[in-house]
Amino acid sequence: MHNLKVFILMLLLAISSRPVLAVSVNTLEVPDAELEVRKFEADGDRLLLGFPCDEGANAIEEKTAQMLAEDGIEVWMPDMLGAYMLPNLRDSLGEIPDQALLDLIESAVATGKQVYLIASGPYARVLLRAAADWEKTHEQKLAGVVLIFPRLFKGDPEPGKQPQYVDAVGTTKLPIMLLEGGHTPNRWGLTPLRQALSKGGSQVITKVIPQIRGHLFTGKDKNRTEEVVTSQMAGLIKVSLFYIQEFEQ
Amino acid sequence: MIKKLFIFTLLLVFSAASQATSLKAFGGNPTPPPLMLKDLEGKSHSLDANMGKVVLVQFWATYCGPCRKEMPTMNKMIKKLEAQGVPFKILAIDMGESAAEVRKFVDEVKPEFTILLDESGKSIQDWKVFAVPSNFIIDPQGQIRYTLFGGVDWANEELLAKVAALAK
Repeated sequence: MHNLKVFILMLLLAISSRPVLAVSVNTLEVPDAELEVRKFEADGDRLLLGFPCDEGANAIEEKTAQMLAEDGIEVWMPDMLGAYMLPNLRDSLGEIPDQALLDLIESAVATGKQVYLIASGPYARVLLRAAADWEKTHEQKLAGVVLIFPRLFKGDPEPGKQPQYVDAVGTTKLPIMLLEGGHTPNRWGLTPLRQALSKGGSQVITKVIPQIRGHLFTGKDKNRTEEVVTSQMAGLIKVSLFYIQEFEQ
Repeated sequence: MIKKLFIFTLLLVFSAASQATSLKAFGGNPTPPPLMLKDLEGKSHSLDANMGKVVLVQFWATYCGPCRKEMPTMNKMIKKLEAQGVPFKILAIDMGESAAEVRKFVDEVKPEFTILLDESGKSIQDWKVFAVPSNFIIDPQGQIRYTLFGGVDWANEELLAKVAALAK
């Protein structure tokens, strides 16, 4: 009986000592639209701004955001496509107004936290565009960029020729951490991509995650390694932020 | 108006279909990088050893859906070109995976052509391959004549005619 009391007491203490996490949906006025931003609030001084997440569509992204928030890293997941009623297609990304991206970053910077930008796949091109626009028009520095399996080719890469990248590549000075799957053709293009990203003045670190095919958040036929890495995505992102901070010192 | 729209749609569909199976004339340096790799049994194969033949050099991977789909059509391609008397060889290079992974795939898909391993990725970088599947058609004089990115039906007659013409 005594043991049970002690157990219940310890359990209550453990529950009460966990940080209380608030998830809220805020609306931000942007040109010609209202942008919904899901915020996984945290007490720490770092804020991770996703570009442009599909609000509510992905449980894995949400779980990752929650895990990061538990570790003190605030996460914002804006629904950029939804705000402009754009279909989830690569072509839609170019239709997101520059000013909406700047307004969103401005709102994140206004929190006083260090703001990191993060995106995966083709969304990386929106992130790079936003980062470059911000640097051109604002003095306040962002902390860095995390690119997860970015897809930045301009068209299909022609066999036997150097790849061509979208115009946003090589336009920012921010430090960049780039994660790529070991089981993707893109891992073989990391050297030219790193060189292209560095042209704007960025320091770029690339890390290959072995046995991963990409599409961690959306793949339905994940192998065991992909399942493990997906469940530990928050850890990978924290390591990425650590490397970016090291750049700055 | 509806008739015009229908014709336009048909043209669009046919043009997309023909683009999907078209070889692209190679505009870069036609002399291919060296190629010497081992197959699953440890036997070495080189591009040089196939001078005098039309060679399809393909970079592929087990995780590539289109590769899995098109390999049976590559088996048909070999048979069709053999029947025409065209000296032809396929060297299909796996992009950086282990022998065990490739063997499992080969047991399932059963390609009837030479599968090569490149775990270090050296040939992938030498040949400037950044997407999968990436294909190079080499003429009997050892020069790159065409490239093709993406999965296709390699037994397609129009495509076969272009490949066979290189042997003439």
